[in-house]
Amino acid sequence: MIGKIIALSELNVKILLNSSKEVKIGDILFSSENNAFFEIAEIEGNIAIGIPFYRVTGLKRGIILSKLDTGLNIQYSDEILGKVFNSYGDLLDGQKFKKETKRTVYIDNPDLSDVNTEGEILWTGIKIIDFFAPLEKGFKMGLLGGAGVGKTVLIKELINNVYTNFGSNAVFVGIGERSREGKELYDEMKEANLLDKMTMIFGQMGENPTSRSKAIYGGLTLTEYLRDEKKQDVLLFIDNMYRYVQAKSEISTELKQMPVENGYPTTMVSDISVIEERINSNSNGTITSFQAIYVPADDMNDEAVQAIISHMDGQIVLDRKIAEKNLYPAVNVFKTRSKLIDVEKIGEKHYNLVEEVIKYLTRHEELEEIIAVLGIEELSIEDKNIFFRSRKLRNYFTQPMHVAEDYTNIKGEVVDIKDVLFDVESILEGKYDDVDESEFAYIGRYHGKEHND
Amino acid sequence: MSYIENLLDNKIDSMKKAENVYDTGKIIKVKDYIVEAKGLLNVGFFEQVNIGDKAIGYVIEILANSVIIAILKEYKKINVRDIVYGTNEEFKSYISNHYIGRIFDIFGEDKLVNKPFTDLAKIKIENPNIPFMDRTSVSRPLLTGISGIDLIFPVGKGQRQLIIGDKKTGKTQLTLDIIVNQKGKKVLCIYVAIGKTKKEVKEIYYELSKRGALEYTMILAAFNDEKPTVLSLTPYIALSIAEYYLSYKHDVLVVIDDLKRHADAYREISLISGKNPGRDAYPSDIFYTHSRMLEKGCQHKNGGSITIIPVVETKGGDITDYISTNIISITDGQIVLSSKNFNKGQKPAIDYGLSVSRLGGAVQEESMKILGAKVRRILLDYIEKREVYELANFDEMSPTLKSEMINGKRILDNLNQYKYSPKTKEEIIESFDFIKELK
Repeated sequence: MIGKIIALSELNVKILLNSSKEVKIGDILFSSENNAFFEIAEIEGNIAIGIPFYRVTGLKRGIILSKLDTGLNIQYSDEILGKVFNSYGDLLDGQKFKKETKRTVYIDNPDLSDVNTEGEILWTGIKIIDFFAPLEKGFKMGLLGGAGVGKTVLIKELINNVYTNFGSNAVFVGIGERSREGKELYDEMKEANLLDKMTMIFGQMGENPTSRSKAIYGGLTLTEYLRDEKKQDVLLFIDNMYRYVQAKSEISTELKQMPVENGYPTTMVSDISVIEERINSNSNGTITSFQAIYVPADDMNDEAVQAIISHMDGQIVLDRKIAEKNLYPAVNVFKTRSKLIDVEKIGEKHYNLVEEVIKYLTRHEELEEIIAVLGIEELSIEDKNIFFRSRKLRNYFTQPMHVAEDYTNIKGEVVDIKDVLFDVESILEGKYDDVDESEFAYIGRYHGKEHND
Repeated sequence: MSYIENLLDNKIDSMKKAENVYDTGKIIKVKDYIVEAKGLLNVGFFEQVNIGDKAIGYVIEILANSVIIAILKEYKKINVRDIVYGTNEEFKSYISNHYIGRIFDIFGEDKLVNKPFTDLAKIKIENPNIPFMDRTSVSRPLLTGISGIDLIFPVGKGQRQLIIGDKKTGKTQLTLDIIVNQKGKKVLCIYVAIGKTKKEVKEIYYELSKRGALEYTMILAAFNDEKPTVLSLTPYIALSIAEYYLSYKHDVLVVIDDLKRHADAYREISLISGKNPGRDAYPSDIFYTHSRMLEKGCQHKNGGSITIIPVVETKGGDITDYISTNIISITDGQIVLSSKNFNKGQKPAIDYGLSVSRLGGAVQEESMKILGAKVRRILLDYIEKREVYELANFDEMSPTLKSEMINGKRILDNLNQYKYSPKTKEEIIESFDFIKELK
């Protein structure tokens, strides 16, 4: 016996310890007959505060607790591939390990000298991303968007495209998202024979906040195994990083810690930094991460969202107003950016085309307002050209996706960046001025069509 | 005398004989429906406690020297120094085989006659989560009879589809239409009224009764004047009942009307119990409150399913407020109703641009899927172009644009449907026959 429960609420269990020497932060105390497990979060004298792994219904004062030999840990071997874990490192699919080799999920972050910043460009085959926000190995790409504008579909398409061409293993970390989607992703990967090339860990939205806040640690440990032991360039998908912060706020409220704006915990910024700094490439291999970031109340200035974005190398912003017009992926190109949009990285042609397109689309927005008042006939020829070409560009940047075939009934397409540059240049030059704009919606490359005819 | 009073009387009698008394305590603080008691040394979290014959409550927090209790039913005013009795059992609700066709509450009382059902059995308020591997993909359609939904934003068995909109945009009506359309389709329906007036619930009862929907529908009600604690537990109990039927491989449809009221009740409890307020003064766990509830919706591998249709009321047509976006981010799609469309006479007043079904064609049969994708594309194209060309002269439009305008309008008109006039799949397909020759 190490201690006993003296008080409890949903997420906060007060434990009287026999001796404060035997317990440290991160230890797990438990009572197996009550299926109760608590990770120690605070210690004051011989009183410790634990956060429960599961619901606490029925627990009482006086329950006697023992200590597990180790804190939170997870399998650290080749056997992780093809498996699905919960946040606490247990398998969800009823499988068993042949040999248990575990490692703690908490380790020190890499030092400056360990961090590797070199990487080659990684094309996704998604036109709007490759054109406006290309990424390279080792990149951190944020995927932002309010509820229901297509974040998860985009993540699934990225898994499908990048990962099928990449040949490397991938890790999927589901934090606070729908269990249905998690299970469907699992089934789809299994069907596509991709499951044994990846590993998944879930702390989904039906789980208590402890579970949702711990999935990321296990996920990163799995990723580090692939990077450090298998020396791979790993793909890491996190859906959704915001839910980690959300779970942390729930816990800190129950621990009666002082909140900052909107009820976020005081330690929010440092919590995020610790996680994000752990996601890094080193001499063993790279970690390229796609991190979905939920935007609460469609408020881009939300403190948690801003704190996560500050770690990203690029961001793709999904916009409800664009989704409303049935333009998918509903990317807002004005808010989307990448550190690679640089003449030295992507070359002069691509760079100039991006600038030109943004110029066109900006003018298009202004023109829409003018048209609303004066009607389209009042525009100068030049403005009319900009207006109609922009609409073609806007349509051209939609794309049929493999994972959305059920919604659109159109077969998914992967498009080479060279084709994108060629098509965009042709539209801007006016080569397609007499083609109807609807010809450009939901297609792959356009000039291919011309050659076929 | 109500069932509860009866229960209490029996309890008190047995207490006098010192039977089943596990633990006692004394009230030391009363703050609305949250009270604090000394004693109760052996009480468990979420245990039911009785305050003499005055009230029923459950434990929400166990402190080192006292216990915090949330009151569900208060028959007489609680005073400091009242005695509290533990029951050594977690707070549970009831299930009866005779719920179908009746209005009842979480205490197992038939509200139409104010008497408890006679065959009550206890059920847990919340069961453990549906295991990850027990879910299978949502793929069977749950037909609503509304062409705008069945074609464009289809609902599948096991899906969570939100209905969201301002007051007076036909939210409740839409849910009733969906329930009525389940007739003869072997779907058990549970309508959950949260914070509705007694008059509203009675009207709903008569509407469903008139259309023969009570043969397969039960109404679980927490009226406006119930304690927020009752309002906050009610939808969980509805889902617990649904899970009971799910275990017998039934298809269940749960309508929760509405979750904004539920969120407000939960906020009230949190603030009164002294928790820190977060965004819009809601507590930080408001997301979890709804996410774990709605995660009960599933297609189970045993063949049964729980479909959930929650309703959320908005203000000023703004679906981007905190609670709305939270719930949108949990559900598998949303039907947005707009008061502008409603006033223009479009029924149901669906905003086709803002509505979404994340499952889309996966829950449609082939014929509906192909037609739906086409209707949606032409319609959304039309709605967008209509704004751009609002001032343009129709006669000067290109022939393509002209026909787009005409066809778009025709589709929109064709989606109009008066209440309680469901269409079958065949009728929907037939009514869109004209779309065949369009590109």
